[in-house]
Amino acid sequence: MEYFIQQLINGITLGGLYALIALGYTMVYGVIQLINFAHGEFFAAGGYVGVILLSFFTGLGYMETHPILCLSAAFVLTMGYCAFLAVGVEKVAYKPLRRQSRLAALLSALGVSIFLSNGLMLTQGVYDKAYPSELFQGGIEFGMVTISYLQMMIVGMTIFLLFGLNILVFKTKIGMAMRATAQDKVMSSLVSISSNRIISLTFAIGAGLAAAAGIMVGLYYGSVRYDMGFLPGIKAFAAAVLGGIGNITGAMLGGLIIGMVEIFGAGYISGQYKDVFAFIILISVLYFKPTGIMGENIDDTRV
Amino acid sequence: MRKKLFITLVFGLMVVPFIMGTATAKTLKIGSMSPLTGPYASDGTDIKNGVLTAIQVFEEAGGIPGYDKIELFPQDTACDPKQAVAAANKLINLEVVGVVGAYCSSSTIPSSETLDEEDIPMLTPASTNEKVTDRGLKYMFRLCGRDDDQAPAAAKFLKDSLNAKTVFIVDDKTTYSQGLADGVSKACKALGIEVVEHDHVNQGDKDFSAVLTKAKHANADIFYMSLQGYSPGALMALQAKRQGLKSQIVSQDAMFQPKFMEVAKEAAEGIYITYGFTDTTTPEYKAFENIYVPKYGSIAAYATYAYDAATVLLKAIKAAGATDPAKIKAEIMKMDFDGVAKRIKFRANGDSGSSYIAFKIENSKFVPYWSPEQGLLK
Repeated sequence: MEYFIQQLINGITLGGLYALIALGYTMVYGVIQLINFAHGEFFAAGGYVGVILLSFFTGLGYMETHPILCLSAAFVLTMGYCAFLAVGVEKVAYKPLRRQSRLAALLSALGVSIFLSNGLMLTQGVYDKAYPSELFQGGIEFGMVTISYLQMMIVGMTIFLLFGLNILVFKTKIGMAMRATAQDKVMSSLVSISSNRIISLTFAIGAGLAAAAGIMVGLYYGSVRYDMGFLPGIKAFAAAVLGGIGNITGAMLGGLIIGMVEIFGAGYISGQYKDVFAFIILISVLYFKPTGIMGENIDDTRV
Repeated sequence: MRKKLFITLVFGLMVVPFIMGTATAKTLKIGSMSPLTGPYASDGTDIKNGVLTAIQVFEEAGGIPGYDKIELFPQDTACDPKQAVAAANKLINLEVVGVVGAYCSSSTIPSSETLDEEDIPMLTPASTNEKVTDRGLKYMFRLCGRDDDQAPAAAKFLKDSLNAKTVFIVDDKTTYSQGLADGVSKACKALGIEVVEHDHVNQGDKDFSAVLTKAKHANADIFYMSLQGYSPGALMALQAKRQGLKSQIVSQDAMFQPKFMEVAKEAAEGIYITYGFTDTTTPEYKAFENIYVPKYGSIAAYATYAYDAATVLLKAIKAAGATDPAKIKAEIMKMDFDGVAKRIKFRANGDSGSSYIAFKIENSKFVPYWSPEQGLLK
């Protein structure tokens, strides 16, 4: 039982991180029907900006006096940076191709992905960069179950961000504009919604969430490296498809499921097949429900 | 008429490089193969830097008679067997006289067969799998040790020094890491140590929480991790500490990298690893350190072996006075000198012997701790 609970906690932490990344895929797909393969790189960039900022704060000594303030500043700045990066990428690589075939934009996305990850390698080097580890040391123990403060922080932060996103999309004017654009670009522009601005905003939000996940992955696993965006990017994409691409709630659910399946697969069967289990679930769900669990739909839950 | 003139011009231009090539003096071309991108890029870059250092030292000492310049063509294998074979073919086309590499055993094995067809000597600084030299290739040499020496040494260390009764083994399924883990498992069983479980993770994984939870509940005396690179090793050590794993962690030669401690920090303290013994007080080592460190930073796992491999190759070419592979091989087999990493003397199959000892990580340093012959070293 303790074993099960410990694995459940591991699964929720990992699933939450996947969910945060998956949201970026699904939101962008919802608005312009593009699979943004460069999304994993925003996540990696987030991890790197985070480690640079945190090391900078540590060097100045603020980390010891105001740890929470420093961490919040790092989160806000990193999310901001990645949001700008994503908007820039959209303007340079996707916008000129918007009237071309979808395949052109998809290839452009792959190109951007390779460009960004190699850019990271050339500027930051091939070695792992270690995160300052003094933060959130220790945890709570219940018998054999250990919940580290880091896991609590990550789960808390993920819930906070997911909640914030839900409010933004479903309760505000901007969210309404986003949903309108997703449903019908021509119609929404007739009621004076600037679809260009909405698309930029969607990219910015998605990248911001991925950046937050990047910092958390860095804190949780202790280091970042330039190619860290690739595998989580693929898993998060699978999560988005599993949940029903284009559907926000679906992406959250898909992320959690993929994370859990991986952890339980590794925990109860064998670690070597954990990716296999994640993709078996994906394939079997798509076999019976080709549009994903929540379904790619045209009603107002789509962004 | 114009067309003829044009063709003559084009033809003339095409001939120019050949004339120039013969006019200028000769360049000695050697190749290196290691992962320069992908998850093991850091270890691969160390190998390339080791070779470059050897070339630098050689050129400063006057180079090789008959050649102006020694040029290195570093190839990226990405630890991928297919890419390694492609890299080997590229080096064949470049007409290199010898190759230092590769890093992953799974790359070295297929690419060495390609190089062997063209009789190009290959010296691996890092591939420890037995098959590398056991296939009877004519021009395959190895500077590092062998896994079938490392595994029994590790098992003996667990039994004699750590009094282990049970062990939990994890590997990440490469030719090297799984081969070694299987060897350790077998050696442990032979010594009466119970292997509680032998689990696997995937290359590129960052999250090891599931396997570590399993290990925590198995609560074996020893947690033996055999991973392809220092990077997943450091992540695993760090996560093991956070999960509260009580087993003693023991690992292998891939962790011999100062970056391991940089990433794992205090989680690295007290971990044991097995690695070939290198005397860091010899004048050869000091001389290498003085050139390498200012240029490339701290000395990591296979930089010293790569340096020695390149030195062996260049020395052999110099002594042979030719680039004929048979003559180079004859010179290599005659070698007997103190390299940076170890005493270099080759056996008939191309191996140069293993000298595995256990190191303990203390204050972010690898401290020699135990050797199979002498027991505790302190």
